[in-house]
Amino acid sequence: MTVVDDRLDATFAALADPTRRAILAHLATGDATVNELAEPFDMTLPGISKHLKVLEQCGLISRTRRAQFRPCHLERERLDAAADWIETNRRIWAQRFDKLEAHLRDIQDTGHG
Amino acid sequence: MAELTYTRVFDAPRELVFRCMLEPEHLTHFWGPAGTSTPLDGITVDPRPGGVFETVMISDADGCSYTTRAVYTEIVPPERIVWTEPGTGMITTSTFTDLGGTRTEVRIHQANVSDSFRSPENQARFLTSLDRFAAYLETLVS
Repeated sequence: MTVVDDRLDATFAALADPTRRAILAHLATGDATVNELAEPFDMTLPGISKHLKVLEQCGLISRTRRAQFRPCHLERERLDAAADWIETNRRIWAQRFDKLEAHLRDIQDTGHG
Repeated sequence: MAELTYTRVFDAPRELVFRCMLEPEHLTHFWGPAGTSTPLDGITVDPRPGGVFETVMISDADGCSYTTRAVYTEIVPPERIVWTEPGTGMITTSTFTDLGGTRTEVRIHQANVSDSFRSPENQARFLTSLDRFAAYLETLVS
């Protein structure tokens, strides 16, 4: 249990950075090498590599060991676990707000009618 | 640490919206999301710093109940309510802004979000896609 929780914590921490989110968005369109990923950013290769290491450690991406250019691959399962939590939480508040809206209408109608 | 923010504008005066978020007689009407109810006798509100805020949500489908325990850390009528959930460490701040006329904006801000993975009611998972993820990604800030 704790191991799973810790990985989810690490996932959220990894997602908190805009460069890493942009890297994930790029990988959502397909595997890419470090050079390809570095292209849109004004950043050195070691700088990008540091971000990739964070993403790899929490399991958001994986890299093949054998290929010469070690393309990065998005691990969607890990991403989905975080997305699910956010979606559940967002829905709870959206539905709560919907009900509050209706309740406010009810009590103001009776109050002033 | 990740944070989330939800905002909604209501057509009601600020004092009334504020009371709805703090009084069990109002909370019982809306606190449980769709498919659940929150009976009045399952709501505990002790509206002062250190006071208890506890809700029991009951699923319409199977009768399962979900208890959320929180402690108020700040109550500033009619502007702000802050509570923390000791079980998860999540801090929720509700801010009420008078937009003039009878319109009120409610802003829910949640901090320490990653820790709340530990709360059992949040363990329920839906199948999701990357598209859906992208839509909510911008709600995450460092």
